Amino acid sequence: MPAIQTIGLTKHFRPGRRVPFRPARTEAIAAVDSLDLSVNEGEIFGFLGPNGAGKSTTIRMLLGFLHPSGGGGRVHGLDVVRESVAIRRRTGYLPGGIALYDSLTGEALLEYLARLSDRPAVRRAELCEQLELSRRTLRRKVRDYSRGMRQKIGIVQALQHDPELAILDEPSEGLDPLMQRAFYDILDRLKAEGRTVFFSSHVLSEVERVCDRVAIIRGGRLVALEEVQSLLTRARRQVTLRVAGASPSLTEVAGVSHVEQRGEILTCRLEGDPRPFLAAIQQCVVLDLTIEPARLEDTFVDFYGDVES
Amino acid sequence: MNGALFAHTWRMQRVRLAVVCLGLLVWGFITPVVYAQFGAQFRMLVENGLMPEQFAQFGGGDIFSLPGAIGLGFIHPISLLLNSVFAVGYSTAAIASERQRGTLEVTLSRPVSRRALYGTLVLSSFTFLAASTLALIAGAVAGAMFEGVRSELPLAPLPLLWLNGMLLFGAIASIGLAASLSFDRFAPALGLTLGVVVVSYFLEVLGSLWPDARPLQPYSLFHYLQPKSILTGHVAASDFAVLTLVLACAVSYALVVFPRRDLPAPS
Repeated sequence: MPAIQTIGLTKHFRPGRRVPFRPARTEAIAAVDSLDLSVNEGEIFGFLGPNGAGKSTTIRMLLGFLHPSGGGGRVHGLDVVRESVAIRRRTGYLPGGIALYDSLTGEALLEYLARLSDRPAVRRAELCEQLELSRRTLRRKVRDYSRGMRQKIGIVQALQHDPELAILDEPSEGLDPLMQRAFYDILDRLKAEGRTVFFSSHVLSEVERVCDRVAIIRGGRLVALEEVQSLLTRARRQVTLRVAGASPSLTEVAGVSHVEQRGEILTCRLEGDPRPFLAAIQQCVVLDLTIEPARLEDTFVDFYGDVES
Repeated sequence: MNGALFAHTWRMQRVRLAVVCLGLLVWGFITPVVYAQFGAQFRMLVENGLMPEQFAQFGGGDIFSLPGAIGLGFIHPISLLLNSVFAVGYSTAAIASERQRGTLEVTLSRPVSRRALYGTLVLSSFTFLAASTLALIAGAVAGAMFEGVRSELPLAPLPLLWLNGMLLFGAIASIGLAASLSFDRFAPALGLTLGVVVVSYFLEVLGSLWPDARPLQPYSLFHYLQPKSILTGHVAASDFAVLTLVLACAVSYALVVFPRRDLPAPS
């Protein structure tokens, strides 16, 4: 059974009247449009898209904050509309830009949220240690915390009760590089223990680093759902070639595109199997050759670049 | 009802509640003192025509009898302001303000249903108002004892007086909570609830000062708070029924609307 499954999940917002005596706009805005998604148990799933793509709206429907306009979804086999309380009992959630009760100490806040969760905070000590939240720090009021500290508290509150599914919206936002690494270690451990993580992020390098599969959403619609490795294989790599003498003819070579030449420097994009490209340059005097590793960012830009064009 | 949320709400409001209760205790104490010290002089002023009779019956209370003075203390703007800290301020902020700040989604990401959240907030506000109304009555009894006029104050109707005050401020709080869960921001919820309270108060006071405006009084929630009548043994069940009906309508609205409304990300 998938940890998360949506079938035709749709959310339309109808903007209300903002200005007195001006009629309300009646056309609905599709924030999420017929989204079909399946997240397997035990995987770390990346959910990508630019601002306004529908990521948070999807997450909020999964947790029962928003009611779908069409279609439906199930989390742990439970219906997102009728059984949202049972879903939240088994789920940890880190909202993007989390807001906390400033007048409480970190310790009191975590304790309160653990009591609300109905499950003991079995992971709290371990998470606090990994994220370097000392007892002294936790005794300070939340209002005195920096942005990064608040984010750490947000991560701990989402995971302290050892949920089967963690839904994390921009989890590494505000964390310094050392803490980001500690956070990735936490994710690795969760994965090793068979927990499912649904991970929304703008930071493509971290998605590439931690996720098994990614879904890319654009204008509320799913445009890609693949394994990270498969996306990277298909991604176009940047090639820079310095040749002496006659340049090779690459325009007709399979997998090669965007060929440009400036003097003895030739650049192109390479997609898929590199052998036809290597065969094409075999007869040339190659002074230097750089093939940059494929990056998820390039794939992401390609998806959105297509739309721009 | 959620125990952890209830305890958290009490912990967050305990200082405010202590200040309000202390204020109402002092105010409740003052009203019998004013009656004992100045009641006779006020009566003379009215009887000599130096003060219009209507001014001596402000909001159904007066200053010539202990029950009247306690009644006046209940509807006086000072009492109203102190009780409004919870009946209006707390209730309107309870959901809308948390939504605006973004803390509501942290609470609701736990296995807490919206009805349980609302039920807990209703119960919390009622317990706050129960404590504050009790403080006002306790202050009045203490003031009467201090001035040696306790014998003029029957103790048997005090629970009914407490219930009447509780129902009035409970009805206002339930309207405040209903407004709070209907809006995404605090200001409109507060504005709507304050509007209801101010208009209601204005109608009651206007009717008590100007006989021609008396037909407007039944449209005021404050018209159904009758401390003097209760303390003199004239209990009108209809007053309790109207306040209960308003409270029930607001709670029913909330129980229907809140679970069905969307809670988009805080802006």
